Amino acid sequence: MSWFLLLLQTSLRNIFSSFLNVVIGLIILAGTFFFVVGGSLVDSMDKAMSRSIIGSVAGNCQVYEASSQDSPAIFDNWQIPDLDPIPDFSKIKGPLMSDPNVSAVVPEGVNTAIVVYGNTIDQVLEKLRKAVSPGTRQPQAVVDSLKAHVRQMVSVIQADMGKVNQVAATGAFDPQAGEDLKKASSDEFWNGFDRDPFNHLEFLENKIAYLIPDSDQIFLSYVGTDLDAYRKAFDRMEIVDGQMVPPGHRGLLLSKYVYEEMFKLKSAHRLDQIHEALTEKNKKIAKDPDLQDLVKQNRLETREIVLQLDPLSSQKAVSILQATLNSKETGLSELLSVFFDTDDSNFEARYKVFYDQLAPLVELYRLKPGELLTIKAYTKSGSVEAVNVKVYGTFQFKGLEKSGLAGGLSLMDLMSFRDLYGYVTPDKIAETKSLEKAAGVTFVPRDQAEADLFGGSASSDVEQGQQKAINDKAEMGGGAKVQRVDLTQQVYSQDEIDKGVVMGAAILLKDPSRLKETLKSLQDTCDKDGLDLKVIDWQKAAGNLGQFVFVAKAILYFATFIIFVVALVIINNAVVMATLQRVREIGTMRAIGARKSFVLSMVLTETVVLGLVFGTAGSALGSAFVVFLNHAGIPAANEFLYFFFSGPRLYPLLNSGSLVGAFIVVLVVTCVSALYPATMATRVSPIEAMASDE
Amino acid sequence: MAEIVSIQNVVKEYHLDKVVVPALRGVSLSVTQGDFLSIVGPSGSGKTTLLNLIGCVDVATSGTVLIDGHDTASLNDRQLTDLRLNTLGFIFQSFNLVPVLSVFQNVEFPLLLQRKFTKAERAGRVDELLEKVGLDKHTQHRPSELSGGQRQRVAIARALVTRPKIVLADEPTANLDSVTGENIIDLMKEMNRAEKTTFIFSTHDAKVMSHANSVIRLADGQILNGKGVPAGAH
Ligand SMILES: Nc1ncnc2c1ncn2[C@@H]1O[C@H](COP(=O)(O)OP(=O)(O)O)[C@@H](O)[C@H]1O
Ligand SMILES: [Mg+2]
Repeated sequence: MSWFLLLLQTSLRNIFSSFLNVVIGLIILAGTFFFVVGGSLVDSMDKAMSRSIIGSVAGNCQVYEASSQDSPAIFDNWQIPDLDPIPDFSKIKGPLMSDPNVSAVVPEGVNTAIVVYGNTIDQVLEKLRKAVSPGTRQPQAVVDSLKAHVRQMVSVIQADMGKVNQVAATGAFDPQAGEDLKKASSDEFWNGFDRDPFNHLEFLENKIAYLIPDSDQIFLSYVGTDLDAYRKAFDRMEIVDGQMVPPGHRGLLLSKYVYEEMFKLKSAHRLDQIHEALTEKNKKIAKDPDLQDLVKQNRLETREIVLQLDPLSSQKAVSILQATLNSKETGLSELLSVFFDTDDSNFEARYKVFYDQLAPLVELYRLKPGELLTIKAYTKSGSVEAVNVKVYGTFQFKGLEKSGLAGGLSLMDLMSFRDLYGYVTPDKIAETKSLEKAAGVTFVPRDQAEADLFGGSASSDVEQGQQKAINDKAEMGGGAKVQRVDLTQQVYSQDEIDKGVVMGAAILLKDPSRLKETLKSLQDTCDKDGLDLKVIDWQKAAGNLGQFVFVAKAILYFATFIIFVVALVIINNAVVMATLQRVREIGTMRAIGARKSFVLSMVLTETVVLGLVFGTAGSALGSAFVVFLNHAGIPAANEFLYFFFSGPRLYPLLNSGSLVGAFIVVLVVTCVSALYPATMATRVSPIEAMASDE
Repeated sequence: MAEIVSIQNVVKEYHLDKVVVPALRGVSLSVTQGDFLSIVGPSGSGKTTLLNLIGCVDVATSGTVLIDGHDTASLNDRQLTDLRLNTLGFIFQSFNLVPVLSVFQNVEFPLLLQRKFTKAERAGRVDELLEKVGLDKHTQHRPSELSGGQRQRVAIARALVTRPKIVLADEPTANLDSVTGENIIDLMKEMNRAEKTTFIFSTHDAKVMSHANSVIRLADGQILNGKGVPAGAH
């Protein structure tokens, strides 16, 4: 015991006796520091990410049809995996729920669709049409205001075309268009409007509207799910605008990220982006080319705002801008260009003016909660399915608010999803066949048959109807092919929702730490019941993103491994050199009666004690740094990090595993690196002690 | 008195590449318990070599070396080490104290290696010896804080702390000025008298040599005269 104390004492005292020891110590200190900090970071990142992924869509595991070519890849937004459908969810729900560790089974499927959004002028013309139509007649003041708005738009197009014509070669535009515009801007045309509104409207719709090509196609990725079950099972989802889809209803919840990106007034969205970069990321317009680009786009693309404003609002906007800019300019477009030409000194003031004064004049979002959206998707068979879905609101995944990687997903009710997916089960086909026979029908177009089977909501004529405004798509389709019911009011029972096709299901566990066993037992259950399902964990189901965590971890551990291998070599060399410097001392010990084993343990103990002392220091510093980071937070510099951090900042927690790991690694590294020098030291002969000084 | 060291016809050769350097050429020697023996001779005469053989840190090329009845040629490294620990004490020319240990710890070190004494026993012995060598005020000092003479006193205390039968000292005064050197030899002599410990030390200093009870003169690896084995015997 006292012998060991002697070893320890000698070791401790030896630590600062040699410069080499200090070098070794600093390497260990740095190594443990990075190990503790890195380990805590990766662990916190892993936890944050898995929490986000599991709690947003993936669940702890996912099941899908075993015969599928691909496996689920939830966050690979634009690559929809080739999955075979599970014909009847109600048949798999029970068996899966029977596992004692399963708390919920939520049907899910990812798909993409196109949302076609009409022209601004189309929308105004629609309003005007309604305002003059018998059933929805509005006071003359409203009609006049709408008329003025349309007239304003016509003059905007005229001015635009004039500009382009100066630059472009003559004949770039159809001369007939010029004629039409002239007609549409004439007093004569507008004076005659009230007498024969519908003919005038027709002219505007057919000859003028297409000249303002600002219609948009938006690609929408969405998860079709039982929204009520989803809401209960996934805690990361939170409603931002509007409300949750009422129980049993059809409906769409747009991802807030997509809503901002795609549905917000472009100029406003760009202002938001600049504002965020300046206030949250400490960037400067003067130094950042991306921000300069946004400013430039805002300066050049003022038309979206100009078109939105009727003459009265235009006048208001002009006076606001004149006052703000201290300008005598009267052109709205010109004023906006100057207004949006911001730099670091005036940006925040203009940002405030924009939202306080200009925003109330325009529609910031071209779609508001409560409105209908027409969504078209290509079915597996290649035909186009379209459904009108009411947008109830927007939502975000807590922690992934700003991540485009995760924020691309919207949420749709399962019924609409099935309509858009356009899958017909074999027994349904049989059923249709027999119905057809009974009704004496000889030919039903395929898309119509599908639509009928899925509740008759699909309207296959959206293709031709693209130019029309969408909010009355349901009426506009006409009853010729598909019988129309107002499906937004329809309430489905749990049974109806469950009985039917799903692409897969997310499974939530009561005890997530028992993921591995549960995966296995679930797979066993599926195999035993002949369900033909495959069960995979969330990491796999998340697609590439799930793999990123794994890769990040692997990189970190590999880097640590390399650092410690390098440290091992350096420490080994340093201890060899330190031992060589102590040949006399070791020889003396041997001469006065120290056995080889003593020398061996002495060198080993010394290196290990050295490692532990500096390792403790490194761990302490590392822990302190992690605690500091926990208070300060690490800002996510880019969107990629944003996803890893599951938020704008990562607040890492000290990971006890990393601490323990650091000590184990230090022990192993120091022992291994001291082994050779220690055996070398045992070979020092006691004669060395006798040698006189040189 | 009992014979504690017995050396018979010892030859020691060093091999330098292909050259054989004869350091001892047939040395025979007998030392009795309690002797205060000085080995003298010019540099290169073989003093260190002889002391290394007696000190069991090296083995003879031929001939026998008996230390306290043990034939060193028949012992393995472990046994030689234990013999050094328990039977021998060493005083070195350059003191060879462990720099990171205090005076007390340096002296205590061999006792710890012996692993047979309690802390109190060790402290008793160490303190007693440090008092004898006049360093009781310096027990917590580091070797670097001491003068050469003081360091050699610590070394003497360390050599004696296990109460060895033989203490070997290879030119213990070579690194000290003559007054300090004489004081050191006086101290050794005193210890020799008090403890009846056999001292064998080498020197090429006539003054130091004069304190010895008996003297062995070495030249060119051979003994010119010797106690019990007179010069020119065999
Ligand atoms: N390790 C060695 N290798 C080769 N020759 C040595 C070695 N040690 C001593 N010698 C030689 O042996 C002879 C005796 O040396 P040594 O015992 O050190 O003499 P002293 O101590 O009397 O000066 C010298 O010639 C010396 O060169
Ligand atoms: Mg010598």
